Amino acid sequence: MGRAVAVVLALMLVLGLALSGPVQAQTKEDTIVYSLQSDVDSWDPPASVLREAIILGYHAFDHLATRDLKTRRVGPNLATSWRNIDDTTWEVKLRQGVKFHDGTPFTAKDVKATFERVLDPAKKMTARGNHAKIKSVEVMDDYTVRFKTDGPYPLFVERLTAQVMQSEKVIREKGDQWMGENPVGTGPYKLVKWNRKQDHLLVRNDDYWGPKPYYKYLRVRIIPEKATEIAELLSGGVDLIKAVPPDQMDVIDKSGGARTASSPILRTAMLQLDQAARGGPNPFTDRKVRQAANLAADHDSIIKHVLNGLGDRVATGINPMAFGWDPSLKPYKQDLAAAKKLLAEAGYPNGVDITFHEGPPIVEPAIQQTNDAIVADMAKVGFRVKRVYIGDNTVLVARTKEGKAGHMFNWSWGYYSVFDADAILYDVFKCGESYSYYCNKELDDLIATGRSTLDAKKRSEIYVKAQKLLFDDAAYLYKWGLRGVWGISNRVEYTAPADEVDRLFLATPRKK
Amino acid sequence: MVRGAGGRTGGVCPYPMRRYIARQIVQLVVVIIGISILSFGILHVIGDPVLLLLPQNAGKEEFERYRHLLGLDRPLYVQYWSFASRAVRGDFGQSWYGNAPAFRLVIERMPPTIYLTLAGLAVALLIALPLGTIAALKRHSFVDTLCTMVAVAGQALPIFWLGIMLIIVFAVQLRLLPASGYGTWQHFLMPSFCLGAALAPITMRLVRSGLIEVMSMDYIKTARAKGLLEWRVVVKHAFRNACIPVITVLGLQFGQLLGGAIITETVFAWPGVATLTVDSIRNQDFPVVQCAVVLLALLIVAVNLLVDILVGFIDPRVRAGA
Repeated sequence: MGRAVAVVLALMLVLGLALSGPVQAQTKEDTIVYSLQSDVDSWDPPASVLREAIILGYHAFDHLATRDLKTRRVGPNLATSWRNIDDTTWEVKLRQGVKFHDGTPFTAKDVKATFERVLDPAKKMTARGNHAKIKSVEVMDDYTVRFKTDGPYPLFVERLTAQVMQSEKVIREKGDQWMGENPVGTGPYKLVKWNRKQDHLLVRNDDYWGPKPYYKYLRVRIIPEKATEIAELLSGGVDLIKAVPPDQMDVIDKSGGARTASSPILRTAMLQLDQAARGGPNPFTDRKVRQAANLAADHDSIIKHVLNGLGDRVATGINPMAFGWDPSLKPYKQDLAAAKKLLAEAGYPNGVDITFHEGPPIVEPAIQQTNDAIVADMAKVGFRVKRVYIGDNTVLVARTKEGKAGHMFNWSWGYYSVFDADAILYDVFKCGESYSYYCNKELDDLIATGRSTLDAKKRSEIYVKAQKLLFDDAAYLYKWGLRGVWGISNRVEYTAPADEVDRLFLATPRKK
Repeated sequence: MVRGAGGRTGGVCPYPMRRYIARQIVQLVVVIIGISILSFGILHVIGDPVLLLLPQNAGKEEFERYRHLLGLDRPLYVQYWSFASRAVRGDFGQSWYGNAPAFRLVIERMPPTIYLTLAGLAVALLIALPLGTIAALKRHSFVDTLCTMVAVAGQALPIFWLGIMLIIVFAVQLRLLPASGYGTWQHFLMPSFCLGAALAPITMRLVRSGLIEVMSMDYIKTARAKGLLEWRVVVKHAFRNACIPVITVLGLQFGQLLGGAIITETVFAWPGVATLTVDSIRNQDFPVVQCAVVLLALLIVAVNLLVDILVGFIDPRVRAGA
């Protein structure tokens, strides 16, 4: 037994050593705690494909342009202005007096080095695809840069919000691996310590060129389990969490310690229909069948009763927040008689059999319940739906790419955070694209013209036409724009962001 | 169990023990190679990692270029060979996501998991030893039934549920403990209890049955006849023999404990190697998964080896190669 006691004592000693954690200088009052469900893989945003990396990137770095959360328009940031010299040249003026965290001033050569690093095919930068239209970057003087593009590039300014500015000196001297762990940006916070999959500690950049954050410290914790995340919010361990499930909103709102806030986000959900016959002949190649499907579902009551109101009805795949959205186009309204009639006209008076590949509840809240409701509505007009559940999003994405997603499948599109109709039309509606199950020459022409027109008014008209076409042709079964739900501690004032990029540097204490 | 008491007088016989350890080490190598081949094969069957690595709007050429960069376009045996030949030198390659050496990522995350499993083990023993002993000594009494009930109930509770309940009670309601995280001794209490509670029932039952069997042996009667106090009889004489099956089973349960750690780490946001492995499998980050699988297998095999040696020291019959 003496030995057993010794073993237990030894265990305790080991544990005791393990438990002597780092000394924390920050107090609760000057620290804001944010939680993410999974950690970033790198502190080098262009090398990562994760949204978490974009969010953290906003804190340590700055972008040339940034979105105003109130107007949702893109405005100046590290760039003060931009203009077209000609169809394929953009000139960008840079802000003066900005410094990187290591003290080096931010100038045109940093912009050039940043883009050249991302565009270099030999580097494994995942962000390369976002900027592939840029052919070259030229330094005119210390605070002026010219971008040459491959053809007219109307999304140029939008895309500037997707690229953090990194230091030429760091790129040259330190290299990719070092940059993955040591962000040297111009942003409002500086990284102090990163314990992988555990937490990040950031401290306010007191030399920041813009409005300085209220909280001196920002701690980002990694909490994989949603129930734990909510418990942390309720017990005061965390101040802000995102992606609160609709059925947990009440728990938070009634806790007295925290509240929820929701915001429409740039993501549209739909059921894609195989109009292009990528998986072979099927009933949805007939426009009347697609229209019947759109007329069968009662989305308004689904949004109200199943989604707790967390959705915004759309007439096509175009999100109301995207440039080019046509507010005058009204969505399909349920009309069972008209749907039945259309099906009969299409040659299916006794109903029609279709398959439906259902995705897992990762991106869309309550996806299963809303699918149940839509399938039940479709059954009322004669669709006999065979449901195939795909539990893994990767599998659904892979099948979709290969054209094997079936007659009808769950799909939602986040626009790569580019607030522009083109960001969904090209990828999800253009003939021959990986995620598109729709093919229409007329639409393709509109997409191509939209892409090569710099005049905003003309582009807007093109997209109005495109939406009319997509609505009349009932390309897919259109559903709704999604809403995000955040849980916010009652000690903090915070506005839920429409672009799903949390900016903790905007948080302040809540007024009593 | 200790009927062949003659073995007890067999004395220390170093050669069979040494041979035994050598045999175990050879087995260990075979097991590790087997596991690495198996996990390598499974990983390559479950899907294409490049689909996850690149943004959805990457074109076909981009995918091909990336596949080539990662060497995924080579035949499987060539890929395995290049992995294995580097792995024996401790080089498991770079994580495809973290831009850091896979070995470092895994090693960094090992200590929290090991501390958690050790703490879980300690909790299990703290619960199981006294309860098992009481149950054995008061066999068929109310106390025994109560202990059995506790054991059955404990085994029936899913770790996940227990974890969330603990958080709700101790963090949200009472505000006594941090809900999740890692760093102070308070952070250890709920996760280790959670893990220990899952292991305690089986351990308790083993202690109970072991003690009951040992207590009816002749040498115990002898000890009592010498006039020793009952607690001395139990602690000094009975325990030594009763703990042999307990140690063996605990060794075998170590793998289970690591499995339980995956859930515990997830619920309590514990930055351990178990969640790293699961995340890496989900991301199909081959180098990290390979490294974690091999190191965890090594750990499990090493613990079992250690247990065998420990049992050898306690039970001379094993040492004698019986």
